[in-house]
Amino acid sequence: MLAAPFYLPVGDEVEVFRAAYEQRIPVLLKGPTGCGKTRFVEHMAWELSGEPLVTVSCHDDMTASDLVGRYLLSTDGTTWLDGPLTQAVRAGAICYLDEIVEARKDTTVILHALTDHRRMLPVERLGTTIPAHPDFLLVVSYNPGYQASVKDLKASTRQRFLAIEFDYPPVDLEAQIIAHEAEVDAEDAQRLAFLGERLRNLDDADIIDGPSTRLLVYVAALISKGIVPRRACDVALVQTLADDREVQDAVRHVAHAVFPA
Amino acid sequence: MTDRPEFEPAQHALALYHRALSGHGCEFLGYEDDADLWQRPDTATTVRLPIRAPVSDGGSLSAAQWYRVAVTHRALHQLLGTFAFDLDRPEPLFRRLRPAGQSGDARPRLERFTGLFARPVLAIEVFAVLEDLRIDTAAPRLFGGLADSYRRVRRAALQHRPELTVLPPRAATAEALVRLSLGADSVLAPPALREPIALVTAAARRLTDPRASVESSAEAAIRIYAVLAGLPNVGVERVARPIAFADIDADIDADIDADIDDPGFGRFGAELRLEGDEQLDVRLVPVRYRDAPGPRYLGQATSGMPLQEAILRMTPDPAEPGESADEDTDDYRARSLAAERGDVDVTAAARPEPPPEPLPHDHGPDLDDYHHAAHGRLHAHGRDEFLYPEWDGVAGRYLPEWCLVRVRRPKSVRSDRNYRRALAEHGQLLPGLVAQLERVRPAGREVALRMRHGDDLDLDACIEAMIDLRTGVEPRDAVFASMLERRRDVSVVFALDLSSSTAERLPPDPAEPKRVQRILDLQRDAVTLLVEALDRVGDAYGIYGFSGGGRDDVRVSVVKDLDERRSPAMVHRLHGLVPDHTTRMGPVIRHLGGRLERSDAATKLLLIVSDGRPYDLDYGQQYGDEAVLDYALADTAHAMDEVRGRGVQPYLITVDPAGADYLRQMCDPREYHVITEARELPAALAQLYVVARAANQPAAAPANSAVYSGASSK
Repeated sequence: MLAAPFYLPVGDEVEVFRAAYEQRIPVLLKGPTGCGKTRFVEHMAWELSGEPLVTVSCHDDMTASDLVGRYLLSTDGTTWLDGPLTQAVRAGAICYLDEIVEARKDTTVILHALTDHRRMLPVERLGTTIPAHPDFLLVVSYNPGYQASVKDLKASTRQRFLAIEFDYPPVDLEAQIIAHEAEVDAEDAQRLAFLGERLRNLDDADIIDGPSTRLLVYVAALISKGIVPRRACDVALVQTLADDREVQDAVRHVAHAVFPA
Repeated sequence: MTDRPEFEPAQHALALYHRALSGHGCEFLGYEDDADLWQRPDTATTVRLPIRAPVSDGGSLSAAQWYRVAVTHRALHQLLGTFAFDLDRPEPLFRRLRPAGQSGDARPRLERFTGLFARPVLAIEVFAVLEDLRIDTAAPRLFGGLADSYRRVRRAALQHRPELTVLPPRAATAEALVRLSLGADSVLAPPALREPIALVTAAARRLTDPRASVESSAEAAIRIYAVLAGLPNVGVERVARPIAFADIDADIDADIDADIDDPGFGRFGAELRLEGDEQLDVRLVPVRYRDAPGPRYLGQATSGMPLQEAILRMTPDPAEPGESADEDTDDYRARSLAAERGDVDVTAAARPEPPPEPLPHDHGPDLDDYHHAAHGRLHAHGRDEFLYPEWDGVAGRYLPEWCLVRVRRPKSVRSDRNYRRALAEHGQLLPGLVAQLERVRPAGREVALRMRHGDDLDLDACIEAMIDLRTGVEPRDAVFASMLERRRDVSVVFALDLSSSTAERLPPDPAEPKRVQRILDLQRDAVTLLVEALDRVGDAYGIYGFSGGGRDDVRVSVVKDLDERRSPAMVHRLHGLVPDHTTRMGPVIRHLGGRLERSDAATKLLLIVSDGRPYDLDYGQQYGDEAVLDYALADTAHAMDEVRGRGVQPYLITVDPAGADYLRQMCDPREYHVITEARELPAALAQLYVVARAANQPAAAPANSAVYSGASSK
């Protein structure tokens, strides 16, 4: 990777992460969707002398085998294939499990031996245990607001991490991020960040999930490609955030108030 | 002007728009009579708008534009801090004339400020106009998309202003300020007012600076008040000439001695007072798209009291320094402060009622719509209204489309204190409840063979694939065995009776004689306990309240819809449920049964929690009072039969000690539970749920049993 992935710190998260890495303490990133957790990890992996990064997006059907590895059938018989976690453990990479609570509960159990003093990965199907490379670090993320309580990390898992909390950046910072990511002018970026802040007021009232920084960047990207701002908001915000006609109208009104015709 | 109401269709979207802009939720009410706008002030929780936008047919301004600007203006008061005024906070545009705020003075800050002036009403008028000016100047800057609409609305508002030449000097100068705030370029005014208008303009125009804050408005108000208070409020000068606001700076430089930055300017002191002056106080003609200054400025949720009256009511009587002018003052003051801090449930029962409006069910025999209300066909409008039949047990037939169910969201109580209290109080039941539920929870996985993806190789499929390979046949790639999650097993809906009887206080608990508890409180506690347990075991659940006000108004309040995610708002809505009228169970069972039917759970449970028998205003009364109970029971029993036929298992739990007498007529003994001691409701509901869930568990495949998902082997 030639250049550092763009990331603007909001607080002391860079320093905290660096300290955690030096002590090899697993890190839990909490925060709403699209607020920059993944970008932060990419940025930190680059900052830490270009540590390799293995990212896994967890999902409902993800099993321990998807992480650790499995046997495959070949013409010569069966072949073992390392999963992404095993690869990271062997190579000494940072392994980032995005939205860990989405994975099935048995999946998180295999992390336990990796995230305490043992730092090892038991691979049941191989009948072996792989010691983690000294540079290996596990980072997981989840969004506490999403299906809170229904899907939550067990205390026995949570307490193996230190947690860094993320939220959407303040307007001025978010405007800088939008301007950089989508290459729009500062005025449009500022308007989009302001619009995002307004619409998150509806999230606070549980009317919609507030727009993520990523979604605002999408709107900006459309604008940078010549789509009229109101139209860009319509396809990338109004239709994305709500299906209810009245809520759509409200979101559209706010977008139209912010962007001139 | 059109006769068609234009407000109602957009009402909800406007309320959401306001919430997005301001971050504050407000109820939006339309008002018919716009003759006296002073009687329609907004409150901290209510926005009032005319049901018809004051725009001309064929004009360049649409009703939608007008409403958008009116709502934006109100939202910007919140966003730009009008109601967060602080006497002590510095501001960058004026030399400070404000005295320091007295710490320990419990009065709202704005009230403390206006209390500095001899004429609080005039001071608040000036302050409000200056805030409007600041807000309206900032609006196009923040919301560029509204700049054109704003310009049109302000221009239209200017056309309805009184002429300065018919006003006495003080009122004329104040009117010049209003016109300046509306973007006028000039005013036609008596030459003698050139100097006061120049001073007023010089002070007010500073508020167009993007750095201006509400405290800047206060500083400007002190100066402008001083100018206005120095003018007589009697006599009219008919001679007029144009005074251009743009020339004001030159005028001041050339021949006006006064300087609004002079330390002596605007000092609080003796004022010019003429005989009868108080009777001639300045009352500005309201600007229609702006909210009249009202209780909102004091953070009050009270309605119907313009701000000046609110201020005057709270201004200490000079004869009794330190005492309130009204015995309600302390309460108002405390509520104002609490509302500003967000500590008050402004939607709760203590909130004063809005001005009387016709009740939707005010169908007396003397009214023209009585027959229709009693016997006519109902119509469902919109996506929140549903029609259901009713079983007429006396006639032995269904009455088609007989009941109108209106679905709505209850108010939110912005506090989870009661939720935490309920958990603290009943939390000891939680581990046992979760353990019981987990015991009856079936094995959540099964092994699926011959899958394209999976944890392990499927040995049989692998052997077949190898045979295929070696015999030159293309092998199937489904050679894995996978552990699959079974779909979510249980969906349950809790329906809480919100009839007015749930507001009745229970006899004091000897252990806590001072504590007041109602049935509704216990219902909430019971649901709180269960919700925590259900979240832990993963059952899907919905929470609804129900009440009735006649067959045309069966109300279902959605605390949490079945497929809605849990959120803090759910907790707020649960504690926002309020007792409300009667108990018409039949249509509620049909409605919620239908809701459950659409869920894909294997087990669907409907738990109805009530405190008495089904009853409504028109629920069998047509056959005489003696038939009412049987009629209601028959319809409820039929509704339960209907939902059973649709795969939903209903249960009734009641705290009515006499419940068994009528419940046994409606349902199987296993389907109801009578609690003789109301305080046992949380534990009893939890136990009923455990039993119901176990009794309705679908036959589960033994754990680790194999199911085939692919075709059989060749």
